[in-house]
Amino acid sequence: MKTVSLTIDGKRVKAHEGEKVLWAALDNGIYVPNLCTLRDNSEPSAACRLCFVEVEGKKQPVPACTETIEQGMVVNTKGPGALRLARTALELLLASHPVDCAHCPSSGSCELQKIAAHLGVKLKTRRFRKLLRELLVDSSSPVFIYDPNKCVLCGRCVWVCRERLGIGVLGFAHRGFERVVTTFGDGPIAESKCRDCGECVVACPTGALTFKDKQGTVKSAHKERVETETTQ
Amino acid sequence: MVMTEEQARVRQQTKRILNRFGRRRGNLVPILQKVQGEIGYLPREAMLEIAEFLDMPEIDVYGVVTFYNQFRLNPPGKHSVRVCLGTACHMKGGYITLDAWKRRLGIDRGQTSPDREFDLDTVACVGCCVMAPVTVVDDKPQGKVAPTKVDGILLSFKLEKERQGEESR
Amino acid sequence: MKITDLQSVLPAFQGIKSRAESQWRELRDGGKPVIMVGAATCGRAAGALEVLRAIKDELKKQRLDCPVVEVGCMGHCYAEPIVTISKPGYPPICYGYVNPVIAERLISEFILGDDPCLEFVLGALEENDLVPSFSDFPRAKFEKKVILKNCGHIDPEQVEHYIANGGYAALVKALQMQPEEIIDEVKSSGLRGRGGAGFPTGQKWEICRNAGGRPKYIICNGDEGDPGAFMDRAILESDPHSVLEGMIIAGYAIGARYGYIYVRAEYPLAVHRARLALRQAKKLNLLGKNILGSDFSFDIKLFQGSGAFVCGEETALIASLEGEPGIPHYRPPYPATNGLYGKPTLINNVKTLSSIRYIIQKGAEWFASVGTERSKGTAVFALAGKVVNTGLVEVPMGTTLRQVIFDVGSGIQGGKRFKAVQIGGPSGGCLPESALDLPIDFDSLTDAGAMMGSGGMIVLDEDDCMVEIARYFLEFTQRESCGKCTFCRLGTKQMLEVLDEITKGKGKIEDLDMLSWLAEDIKAGSFCGLGKTAPNPVLSTMSYFRDEYEAHIKEGRCPALMCRELIAYYIIPEKCERSCDACVGTCTVEAISANKKRIKVIDQEKCVKCGTCLDACPPQYNAVVKLSPPSQVPASK
Ligand SMILES: Cc1cc2nc3c(=O)[nH]c(=O)nc-3n(C[C@H](O)[C@H](O)[C@H](O)COP(=O)(O)O)c2cc1C
Ligand code: SF4
Ligand code: FES
Ligand code: FES
Repeated sequence: MKTVSLTIDGKRVKAHEGEKVLWAALDNGIYVPNLCTLRDNSEPSAACRLCFVEVEGKKQPVPACTETIEQGMVVNTKGPGALRLARTALELLLASHPVDCAHCPSSGSCELQKIAAHLGVKLKTRRFRKLLRELLVDSSSPVFIYDPNKCVLCGRCVWVCRERLGIGVLGFAHRGFERVVTTFGDGPIAESKCRDCGECVVACPTGALTFKDKQGTVKSAHKERVETETTQ
Repeated sequence: MVMTEEQARVRQQTKRILNRFGRRRGNLVPILQKVQGEIGYLPREAMLEIAEFLDMPEIDVYGVVTFYNQFRLNPPGKHSVRVCLGTACHMKGGYITLDAWKRRLGIDRGQTSPDREFDLDTVACVGCCVMAPVTVVDDKPQGKVAPTKVDGILLSFKLEKERQGEESR
Repeated sequence: MKITDLQSVLPAFQGIKSRAESQWRELRDGGKPVIMVGAATCGRAAGALEVLRAIKDELKKQRLDCPVVEVGCMGHCYAEPIVTISKPGYPPICYGYVNPVIAERLISEFILGDDPCLEFVLGALEENDLVPSFSDFPRAKFEKKVILKNCGHIDPEQVEHYIANGGYAALVKALQMQPEEIIDEVKSSGLRGRGGAGFPTGQKWEICRNAGGRPKYIICNGDEGDPGAFMDRAILESDPHSVLEGMIIAGYAIGARYGYIYVRAEYPLAVHRARLALRQAKKLNLLGKNILGSDFSFDIKLFQGSGAFVCGEETALIASLEGEPGIPHYRPPYPATNGLYGKPTLINNVKTLSSIRYIIQKGAEWFASVGTERSKGTAVFALAGKVVNTGLVEVPMGTTLRQVIFDVGSGIQGGKRFKAVQIGGPSGGCLPESALDLPIDFDSLTDAGAMMGSGGMIVLDEDDCMVEIARYFLEFTQRESCGKCTFCRLGTKQMLEVLDEITKGKGKIEDLDMLSWLAEDIKAGSFCGLGKTAPNPVLSTMSYFRDEYEAHIKEGRCPALMCRELIAYYIIPEKCERSCDACVGTCTVEAISANKKRIKVIDQEKCVKCGTCLDACPPQYNAVVKLSPPSQVPASK
């Protein structure tokens, strides 16, 4: 495969032709916040809007997960326009997230915490109103707990459940502010076709899906993934 | 799980409708429209049957059903009340009309009254802005529906029902 | 395609055309009066079907035999139901505000007798010495009917009417041209898409023609989600074949095999008529295999949209055709190269497609002679709100807003003052008086902070609150957001929350800065056009009507007396008439009672501010008033 060279944050890097800027950056040790994209997923969903970067010659910041690299491209992940958008997106997510890290089993491995640190955003945002949804927590599964209130709708669990495992218990339902990751008829997980494999829990970047008793395991599983992704 | 009689009937009815369609995912929305057209709403069993027919995850049928305004998960009332909240109607007090309906029926939009007589919802412009605010009652647009007219419409339904009650006696 | 294959096309159509023409002639010149009733949705809502029944009954009673034709919408929706009578010896006369009683009189006095009932006349369709014709109206100077030409003048359920009025001749002509020639013609006409963004149509066709992959699809976008617009529906209801003809020509030009008409299920009449039109076209071999004997085959299906504003967005529309939720997908690749089922797909708006036949038939030059430098042809608007002549309007691009509102629309109802005009629906903005001399075209409206959008034009007067209208549109987009991306799902919700507080008098002045900052981010950061344009109504009202926002925040006052939390209804004791109880009985929550002096008093605690009492109070007393802020109500003694 042909390689293309480009500059990201002043660093000259090489990546495969057709690659997206996001992966070119991550592969070269440059972190760009991201939640909703998976490398194996052919079409980026481009939903979280955290991965904005600036590209020389483009008037507006662009999402790194959808921008295809080009020979000689100059990318700036820290431009003021890109950071402004990424920060607003994160603050919007946090304003609708029960920021209760002290009691959350995912604290420490949560990607929201990590992104907030990266962007220099406080977890308790002041700028926006707190808009929570008060959805029911589902602890019916023997293996994990699902707290939809903490979900950021990144879709990783949905994707893993169907594409990797071919089950398709989880999916998106409802629309707009009410959009949720849920099961058929919004029923309890235990009454669905779930096989309790726990892959979704591993995929979840936040505290929305957590293992029931093996909280240690979940933490390390998260850490591992976060680390491999950033250091790769 | 044992199926109730009602569930079995819904399954049968859905199957019959499905016979008329090809097993293509692209047929999902037309199938849902047809099933809702015949049953009045989309019962759980119908959605399960459709998922099986199209060989797709059940949650995806549910995802589509809950995405679109047209589909309902609960049985409709005998009479449908659709308050227009198009721009012209809103600016001429459509929201006041909606409030009046809510108050009188004791339900919110998207709900059916406990006696299953009425279901209440909103629509966007039905194309008769001249008569704003408009309420579409049983598919017939009624113009200039002020709160007093809401009472009038309800009264006429009540009288109608009483008359029918007397006739059947 | 070789031209020789096409030798059969002309003769094949000749037969169809002459049959249609003789049918039409028989109707028009059959020596009998012809009665036409406008029975599109607007007419039906106003009672057209009752009028139709009354006419038929009366004809039967009088033992008269004359054809009664259901036609579509003439655009004069304010005067519905509308009946047009063409009686030999008279010009065709159009009557407005017809009810069953008037209808009976028209039959007995005009059809049977010879009194054209001038008191009900709206206007004649032709110039004559007897009654004023529409062309004498001041609005005629500004209007130019191109795509609305047939609307209200033919029976949309009879393909013969369409053909007799020049229909499908453009298709026949197109079939004798090379596809590239057609595309060149559309390109040089300067036609830009009428779905909102104004993308050059010919260019889109060319991309789609050159794209690899088979079969290719054509989609007619009739989703029309703007809550204040009804042009596309009116066209589908009044002249469906013009849309089909445009689609078939487009299909031939780009080499497509299948087409879909996407109409929302909430438009049952449009669905019915489009379906019927498809059946008729198929029967005449204007659709289907080897159209008119050529080797071009093309089929069209109708798809009913399930109601979600975002489905008007092309990638979301395609998703919903594929059986998915209507969630937009990432572009590029654009549908023109990778659309429905991954195949090249041409998506055009209803109005775009119905313009095609005129371009082919009358030539690109003719089309381009109307309009402005960069926006060619005509603009169709659904004129609504506080304007006198609500309805469908078609004017050349470049006409000013003032001309549309004051000359075509005859100004503001009830002699009130114009305040703003909302254009482009949820994606557009509110423009103030100072913008009224802007020419209507794609670019100047966008520069002013509004947008051509889909063509909804709502006129607002002094009684309309600008904060409330912004809140209304935001509530709409927020509810219709697909929920996929963060900015639109959560950002518009945050904005709505703030606007809600402002209309309730709980806003803070700092909120305005937060609103504009967030609005800019939502515009720049959203995934699709819905989110990218959702803040427009707020931004435009904040820039043109900032004083209203400030009055709400600083004084708790709604200058237009509209925001319910900021007003109170009050009965001025000095004006209240002791012997009158009009308001007491009408109050829906029994909040009004008479005091010892029989002066009526509103219990502010109980009042739900529905305004019924204000309407009920007889004009000679005029005792009920709205006050803002509510603290203006004198404390009861
Ligand atoms: C949120 C949203 C809603 C839209 N709604 C419509 C619509 O109702 N009708 C329409 O023709 N185009 C609509 N569009 C534009 C379409 O995406 C597309 O550009 C258009 O159908 C192309 O046709 P045209 O080139 O003829 O304008 C909408 C776009 C967005 C972003
Ligand atoms: S802007 Fe985002 S959330 Fe809004 S409709 Fe488009 S994709 Fe959906
Ligand atoms: S990772 Fe790019 S938008 Fe979510
Ligand atoms: S806005 Fe209600 S009918 Fe148009």
